[in-house]
Order: sequence, then structure tokens, then C-alpha cells
Amino acid sequence: MKLRQLVLAASAALLSLGLSAAPQVGAPAPDFSVVDSKGVSHQLSDFAGKNVVLEWTNHDCPFVKKHYEGNMQALQAEMKAQDVVWLSVISSAPGKQGHVSGTKADELTASRSAMPTAVVFDESGTVGKAYDAKTTPHMYVIDKAGVLQYMGGIDSIPSAKVADIAKATPYFANAAKAVLNGETPNPAITKPYGCSVKY
Amino acid sequence: MRSVIFLLLCCNLLIPAHSASSGWQTAKHLQAELVSDYRQVTAGQQLQLALHFVPDPHWHTYWQNPGDSGLATSLSWQLPEGVTVGEIQWPTPQAIPIPPLMNYGFAGATVLLSDLSIAPDYAAGSINIQLQADWLVCEEVCIPAEAQFSLTLPVGDKAIAASEYAALFQQARQQLPQPLYASGRFDTSGGAFSATIELPQPLEINAFFVAAPELVDHAGAQQISLQGNQLLLQQPLNTYFSGVASQIELVLVTAKAAYTVQLQQAGPAAEILVTQGQQSDTALWLVLLMAAGGGLILNLMPCVFPVLSLKALSIAANSSKQAQQRRDALVYSAGVVLSFVALALLLILLRAAGEAVGWGFQLQNPYLVALLVYLLFALGLSLSGVVQFGLGLMNTGGGLTAAKGGKGSFFTGVLAVVVASPCTAPFMGSALGYAVSQSAPVALLVFAALGLGMALPFLLLAFVPGFAGLLPKPGAWMDTLKQWLAYPLYLSAVWLLWVYGRQAGVDAQALLLIGVVCIAAACWLWGRRQLAQAGTVSVALALLLLLLALALPYLAPSPQPRQALGPSHDNAQLSQAWSAAKLQQLRQQGKPVLVNMTADWCITCLVNERVALNTESSKAALALYDVTYLKGDWTLRDAAITEYLRLYQRDGVPLYVLYWPGQPPQVLPQILTPDTLQQTLQQLSRQP
Repeated sequence: MKLRQLVLAASAALLSLGLSAAPQVGAPAPDFSVVDSKGVSHQLSDFAGKNVVLEWTNHDCPFVKKHYEGNMQALQAEMKAQDVVWLSVISSAPGKQGHVSGTKADELTASRSAMPTAVVFDESGTVGKAYDAKTTPHMYVIDKAGVLQYMGGIDSIPSAKVADIAKATPYFANAAKAVLNGETPNPAITKPYGCSVKY
Repeated sequence: MRSVIFLLLCCNLLIPAHSASSGWQTAKHLQAELVSDYRQVTAGQQLQLALHFVPDPHWHTYWQNPGDSGLATSLSWQLPEGVTVGEIQWPTPQAIPIPPLMNYGFAGATVLLSDLSIAPDYAAGSINIQLQADWLVCEEVCIPAEAQFSLTLPVGDKAIAASEYAALFQQARQQLPQPLYASGRFDTSGGAFSATIELPQPLEINAFFVAAPELVDHAGAQQISLQGNQLLLQQPLNTYFSGVASQIELVLVTAKAAYTVQLQQAGPAAEILVTQGQQSDTALWLVLLMAAGGGLILNLMPCVFPVLSLKALSIAANSSKQAQQRRDALVYSAGVVLSFVALALLLILLRAAGEAVGWGFQLQNPYLVALLVYLLFALGLSLSGVVQFGLGLMNTGGGLTAAKGGKGSFFTGVLAVVVASPCTAPFMGSALGYAVSQSAPVALLVFAALGLGMALPFLLLAFVPGFAGLLPKPGAWMDTLKQWLAYPLYLSAVWLLWVYGRQAGVDAQALLLIGVVCIAAACWLWGRRQLAQAGTVSVALALLLLLLALALPYLAPSPQPRQALGPSHDNAQLSQAWSAAKLQQLRQQGKPVLVNMTADWCITCLVNERVALNTESSKAALALYDVTYLKGDWTLRDAAITEYLRLYQRDGVPLYVLYWPGQPPQVLPQILTPDTLQQTLQQLSRQP
């Protein structure tokens, strides 16, 4: 009759392994330390007092390409104008799709007329896993107090077609604007869609 | 002749134009064609269309719920008026892990079937079907693509099947999960997706796929447990879970087949809880072996050991008469096994009658506890030499006839089970309760195995000559030992007296003690009669005293409504009384809660509390993490607690459940160590 206890204990151990950090909207966003394309280190806590956007990206992913036809750049410009810190995070492991050098990242930013505050690297996937980032693109909004306010998809239509952007509800843009207005985003959690993050 | 040639020409021209296939479209890493199972159709007909995907090796497309990333294939049809098409009939998906993420999809060739219906009044001579399909095909990198398919089917007087595609369609239909007409509910409370499904037949489910997106953590561990025909499923909730429809589809996968079932969302009052690690696939033989082992251990319990050691010695003393010894052992075993089976039957019948009883029920009724006190005390008196009971306990076999010896052995078996029953509840309660919650034949088998285990030493003594030789030679010391062995029985009686006092109060306990004195007197009178020192009056008096003793617990004042925490609990300030409503309220407030289900007769519970819960370190841990400690008392029957225990597939105490906000309820082991609580809380709190 001991076997049941054994099974219970074993699964309790499994469960505790599964207790990896899950980000929670309304709770402090996990802090992180990353290096950007220019070799500068950033910590989330460095941006205390500012709203922060995290954008998981992979330039070769068709879903990312869809939004870099202009939509993403427009959002970045809009946020920059409002003094929002925009970090484009690359969690692709070395050798995987989307993994780039600092120089290449800067080239991509220039060639796409992108306007992130910085492009940061997370080769080990530590930050991605702490935020449970699943797809590219995958968007997060953190308020001035460091509280996670939004996590999920960029908009409501999961497709790789540029034409769908205009038809979709812009979940991320709406959430970011709400946070800028000091409001709570609704919805605050949506389905992320896109390519898998290449951990 | 000319007309024949014309016809042949027509046919030659028509076949390419009116084929049952759209022809192959080639996209990056994938080829696709649209196929009909009829080359000619007729008005009012229903047929099937198949979108046949053949990706490159190692490339895959996605299921309706693609998992953590990816995109389900979507179809957009353009059809003439009077023709309608149904939803995609998705084949059984595969789990495609890309650690730490998980996708659901189809590696290799896939056929997506859709039903096409033609109205009975459809008049045109052909049907042109236009399909735009959007898909994502991935290896590790992904390529989205779309393609247009066009298929024109002639409408004639009769339908003509496209025999060249019969095999493709047949294979595709075999890939579909079969509808399972089962009722099922699901729930999303406690940080997990939980489901309970009444299966029409037992199925060995290896995996399940939830069709609703962003509901389960796709890479999270799946808990699958079968309790009889009730299937219980659990998987952690998705980080991006933000609501779900009231009905969802679920695909269940066995080694050979797959089934689809619709689940309804359980109401807020009907929370489904599935505990971790309730594995149903423990092989039956292993369960039976463990039951037999448990039975063997029962022989060492303080209430059983004295009775049975004497039986063993009597066998040793009787070693010269092997045939009778063997028959005795067999009859004794039959007594034990049948008594256990009878107890199990009683419990199953009570439950079938809708009684909320679990194993341990024999100790939840104060009157039964009183009777057990009398029985253990009387047996003790018998060992002390006050009275002799003719149950063959010390039967050397010499003076008794074979028939009497057999009967004696059988009832020794019954007696052994009766005196063992209070001991099974505290030590084996939940294990036996688990057995009872299985199907009736399994439950009876488990109890039979338990009985066999208990009888095993005697079977060995009788049938393996070497064992009997291990016993010491009989002699005068046996009488001394017998008298010593009375004391564990007295102590067992004291324990049950205490349980009785906790249940019924100190007044009732005093009455029971008077009853015990009556039993003592009755036994003494009976013993004198046996020594021919007393007459008929004494016998009558003894019987009267016995009746009085039996009546006294009836006369006892009815038990006071128990306070959940009596003075004997030294943590009165620490815990509050459990109630389902209070637990729900606390959990809704997002507070961590520890639930302890206990009973006074549960030795394991008392030891756990003493060693692991009422300690300074555990108290400090509870205070540190602001855990509300709720304690449920199952000493007396309590339907609400029984129901709660069943949520966790338990049928007995102890049960310790720790609720941490945003996490599935965690069941602590039945044997707690001093660190268990603190460590578990530490683990649970280690999240942002």
C-alpha cells in the first residue's frame, strides 16, 4: 500500500519541477539582465519610472515579417513619442533561426526603419522562459511601477497575412494606450500567435 | 458506330475536365490536392471532400488547437447556392514537442475531411467547388502558405463513386477520433484544467488533447487516472488562459484508437479536483500483493497479536496431528477471508444504498466502538484466565472432536478479523478505501487478498513443516505468556474507550466504563461456572450483566455536537474548523489554505499532527506564508467530509491538501515528516 504514497511523492516532485515561474498580469514583472546589440547591459529595474514594452522577435519568422511591413515600426514610433522603453528581445539560441550578431541586429533595425530603444539578446532563453514567451511576435507591457500589465498577442487575427492587420483588433496597441492613460488593459491576457520562440 | 466513337471522344474529353481531384498544388515543403469521394454526384446527396496534404519529411501542419505556436489550417469555400459544407473533421493529432514548447499537429501526409451537402432541388448540371486553404507548414522554421483549389463535379441521375480514391478516404476516416457518447465535465479552478468523464467502457487512456486554444499548458504534465469507469484528467492551465467556452472538445488517445468527447463546464459549485499521482494503472496483481502484505502486517497489531500468537502456539503444540492441523489452518483462513469479504460487501452495499461511508465507518459509530471495547476487554480477561472462551484459541485438539475443532478455527478467523478491524481503519484506512472505490469485483478481490495475507502465517505453519519447527517447544511458559498477552488487549480497549469518550462525551464514557465492569463481573461468574464453582443463578446473573453492559451505551446521552477542536488539541488557536464553504471562500480570496482531514481513531493522523503539524517550525511556516489552517474531523460520520475525501479519490483519513493560489491543489503524503509542510510551502512560494 506504500506504492500510492510513492506515486504521490514522485508526482509532487514532478509538480514542483513544473513550478517554473509563470508571469502574472498585475504582479511585478520578472527582472532580467540582458546585453543589447551595442554591448550595453540593461536591467528591467533600470527603467523604473518608465513604461516598458517587450517584443519577442525573430526577423526570419513570417509572422514577424508580417508586422514589420509597417505595423510594428508605427507602434514603435508611437511608443517612442510617449517616452516608452521598447526592448526587442531575441531569445533564439545560437544556430537557430533568428539568432543574430549585434551588427546584424543593428543592420536589421536600420534596413527596416525600426525604432526600438534597444535590441537585446537572450541566447540562453532565461528571460524568455521567465516571461513564458512562446511565439514571435509576443508582446508585453510593463507599467512605471514595474507591474506586468499586458501579455499576449499583438492583435486578434492569428495569420501571416499583412491584409489581416487592418481587420484585427489591435490588442497590444490598445493595452499599451490604456497603460499610458493609467488604466488597466482589457483584455490584459490574449493568445500569442506566431512562430515558436527558437529556444 | 460513329456515335460510339463520339461517345468515346466525349469521355476522353470529359475525364480530365470532370475528375474527382483538383490536381496537385505545389507549395514550399508541401504538396496538396482537393479530392471528392464521388466523381459524379446527384441532387440531395451528401459526399466528402478531402484536402490531402503531403509535406516534406519532418515537416508538419497543425491541428485545430495548434498548441503553443503554429497555426491551424483554415479553409474558406466558395460554393454554388444549394451546396453547403461542414467544418473540418480533424484527424487525431500528434504531440510535437519543441522544448520547452509543445505543438499539436500532423507530421507526414494528412487528410482533412469535410462533408458536402447538395440540396435535393439542386438543378444545375455541375457543381464548381472553390477552396482557398491557408496553412502553416513547419519543421523548426515555419512557412505560411495559401492555395486555391478548384473542383467541378458533374451532377447526374446517380452518384458515381471515385473508386481510385476509395482507399484514401477509407484511411482518412480511420484517422478520425471516434465519437464517444460519454458525459463529461471540466473545470479550470485551482490553476489547472481538470475533467471528469464517465466512460461507457474502461479505456486505457495514454494522452489527451484539448481542442480549445490557450486552455491547458500544452507542455505541462498530464495526469490521467481511471477510477472504475470514471476518467479523471488534469493538466496545468495555460499562462495565457483568459476564459473558455462552456463546451469544449477533447480527444482521448489509447494505444490503438482515439475518441472525441464533448465536455461541459462544471458549475461554480461543482469544482472538479484531480489530485496528482492517482494512478489507476497499477497492475491488479501488485495491488493484491500489497493487500496480502498489509494482511500479514495486521497480525502484529496490538489488538490482533495476542489472540493470534496463542493460535500459533496451539498449532505448534499440535504438531503431531498434521492432517487435522492442516484442516484447521484452512478453515481458519476461510474464516478470515470470508469475514473480510463480508465486510467489503457490507461497505459496498452501504455505499450502493447512497450512504456516505468510507473505510473506518466501523469506528464512526459510537455503539460499535463500545462493542469493540467489550470484546477486547473480554478477550483480555480470557487471557488473564478469568474465563475460557470455547473458540479453540488454546485448543490443543486433543479433547475436541474434529467437527468442533473445525468450527472453532473458523470462528477464530472471524474473531481475528473483528478484532483487527479497528486497527485496519487507522493504519490502512485510505488504502482499503481506495480498494472499495474500485469496481466491486476488484474491491472484493483486494479484501480477499488482505485476508489471505493475514491467514498466511498459519497456512505456512501447517503446510511447511520447517516453520512449525521454528516455534519454541510448548510448556508451562505458554500460560505465563498468555497472561502477559492480555495487557496489549487491555490497552487496545483503553484506546477505543478514549475514542468513544471523544465521540460521545465523558458522561457516556462513564456509562461505558460501568458496562466494562459488568462485563468483568459477567466473565468472572462465567469463569466460576466453568470451574463448577457456581450454579445456574450465577449464569443467569452473568447473562443479565452482559445484557446490561450491551444496553448501557444505548442509554448513554446522545453525543454533544462536537466542537471541531477539543481541549486535547493543543493547536486550538492555530486551526479553524473545515467547511466546504469556508474553503471556497478562502480560495476565492486567493489565500493559501492547508486542509487537514483527521479523526481521533486515526493513529497516523495523530502521529502526523504531533510530529509534523503542531511543531514550532510548522507553525512558523504557516504564519510566515499566511496560510489558513482548516481542520476537518471525521471521528464521527460526516457526509460533507466524506464527499470532500472523494474529490481526492480518498475514502479515509488522513488527507492533507495544500492550496496555493494559482496552483493546482497539492496533496501531501499520508506520512508527514517534520519538514514536509515547510518544504512544500517554500516550493510553492518560489514563484514571482
